[in-house]
Amino acid sequence: MSASPVSQALTVTAYEIRKYFRGRRLPGMLVLLALIIGLILGLPPALGIAYASDPNLFVASFTNFAALLIVLGGVLFAADALVSEHEKRTGYFLFPNPVRREVLVIGKIAASLFTSIVIVTLYYGAASTAALIVTGALTWEIWLSYLYALAYVACVIGVAFLISSSLKGTVSATVLTFFLFTLIFGIIQGVLPLANVDPWFIPSAAAGIIGNVLSPGGPIPGPGGGFIEIYVPDVATSLAVFALYFLASALLATFLFRRRELSS
Amino acid sequence: MSQTAEQPSMKSVDSESVPVGLRGLGKDYGGFTALRSLDLNVPDGTCFGFLGPNGAGKTTTIKIMTNLIRPTRGRATLFGIDVQRDPKKALGYVGAVIETPEFYGYLSPLETLAYAGRLRGMPKTEIERRSDEVLKAVKLTAWADHRIQEFSKGMKQRLAIAQALLHEPDLLILDEPTSGLDPRGMAEIRDVIKALKGEGRTIFMSSHLLAEVQEVCDEVSLLNHGTLLLRGSVRELSRRPGVSAFKATFLRPPSDRELEILRGFPHVEEVTPGSDGGVDLRIEGGDEVQAAILGAMIGAGLRVTSFRTIGSALEQLYLEHIEESDHL
Repeated sequence: MSASPVSQALTVTAYEIRKYFRGRRLPGMLVLLALIIGLILGLPPALGIAYASDPNLFVASFTNFAALLIVLGGVLFAADALVSEHEKRTGYFLFPNPVRREVLVIGKIAASLFTSIVIVTLYYGAASTAALIVTGALTWEIWLSYLYALAYVACVIGVAFLISSSLKGTVSATVLTFFLFTLIFGIIQGVLPLANVDPWFIPSAAAGIIGNVLSPGGPIPGPGGGFIEIYVPDVATSLAVFALYFLASALLATFLFRRRELSS
Repeated sequence: MSQTAEQPSMKSVDSESVPVGLRGLGKDYGGFTALRSLDLNVPDGTCFGFLGPNGAGKTTTIKIMTNLIRPTRGRATLFGIDVQRDPKKALGYVGAVIETPEFYGYLSPLETLAYAGRLRGMPKTEIERRSDEVLKAVKLTAWADHRIQEFSKGMKQRLAIAQALLHEPDLLILDEPTSGLDPRGMAEIRDVIKALKGEGRTIFMSSHLLAEVQEVCDEVSLLNHGTLLLRGSVRELSRRPGVSAFKATFLRPPSDRELEILRGFPHVEEVTPGSDGGVDLRIEGGDEVQAAILGAMIGAGLRVTSFRTIGSALEQLYLEHIEESDHL
């Protein structure tokens, strides 16, 4: 009597998703999602501002927050997925079962990807529906933006799992994942151009393609009357960066999780 | 007669396929050696007690056996399968309770058992049938649908035992199985273990509760400072001749002269008057010597009201060996 690795991974995925549904994280995320959508749709008319008539520009007002939403998904649904088995001692139940650690990692990554993709899909679904109602049209670029967002989801989830496999505490893993994507990558992305280095390999820079496909960015007004040029790598490079971060991080996370001992 | 650590087991053992085979097993944590070089075979159908004080290396051994940690040297096999090389196959025959595990608080016991059962490839109907049986065995049926986040430590320990039994394993590895349970719970779990033993399953159980081990196990080994000190059958170790402690009480406290008489009896190593008017005696010898000393006390005019051992023979043996190894 032995389950196949695929069947075991699917079981782990199902139970991880159940965890998100029964915990406060998914409901909290859905509330946040509703709040963001409500503000984007509700504020302009409340302030007497007309909606954009172009569907791409209309949806672009949503994609401004897509990257942050994706990072929050990584923080809530991935950052503590591995480390919690050690810190909360649930590994004493899970690990003595005849299941390989890499199967556990794959199952957990699949659950995190699924949950984050659901969030992003709901977000883009709401944006697209609103765009269709307001502008009467949808464009191919909106779909592309959605697909780029999904690629960024994979990148964030992969890195979050790497952090989760490396750190000892759930809080530190969660905090580091959040600040890595919202602050640390942003600082590096801002500083590298000063040394004439294009930050094409920084995920937050590559994530610029999510909005860029809808409203290609030019220089934006900066402090002191100057202009800031936001660097966004080309689409192929950005997608390659996402893929590389996901694969490298997931493989390293699996290796570290396999090696890690449950000695607490 | 007790066996030393180096001697083979009394049962016939095929060392390649025994339920538990440990060969030169060792574990270091930095400069600290938790386990030195443990060689141990546990034959099929044995209920094996793994004794030792806290920090002796019991849990380290069990963690290596269940692939929670890696050995620094040596290897552990379960039914001849190397746990490190093929953990999935090796652990397929095993049910384990290690320390008091935590469970996912958002799940109920039934869902937890279904999770474990699905990971093991059990059919749904089998999971449902066995879940009912094991929850009944550990007295958790009434809580089957409650979320585990509401559970006490003792209830989690019962659930841990239930999940270990779910797939009717050939080998049960239990690390302090009655830890966290109240006396009634401890007795119930002991009954469960005895029933499993009656079914011929192999049980490897660590504990520092000697009475529990004596009641449940066929064989024991004693570990301290990561070294195996002793191994033998419970029956033989419990009957071994040696120094035993006894408590004698009298109708009236013995005088100094009477105490001197006691000290003069052959085979009496030590006489210590107690504050309750009784006397603690350390006697070297078996049942015959004890009977002779009791007869001599009565013959000397001491009006004995009770004469009983202090602690079990196993407990005395345990304390002697632990004390010796602590002084090394």
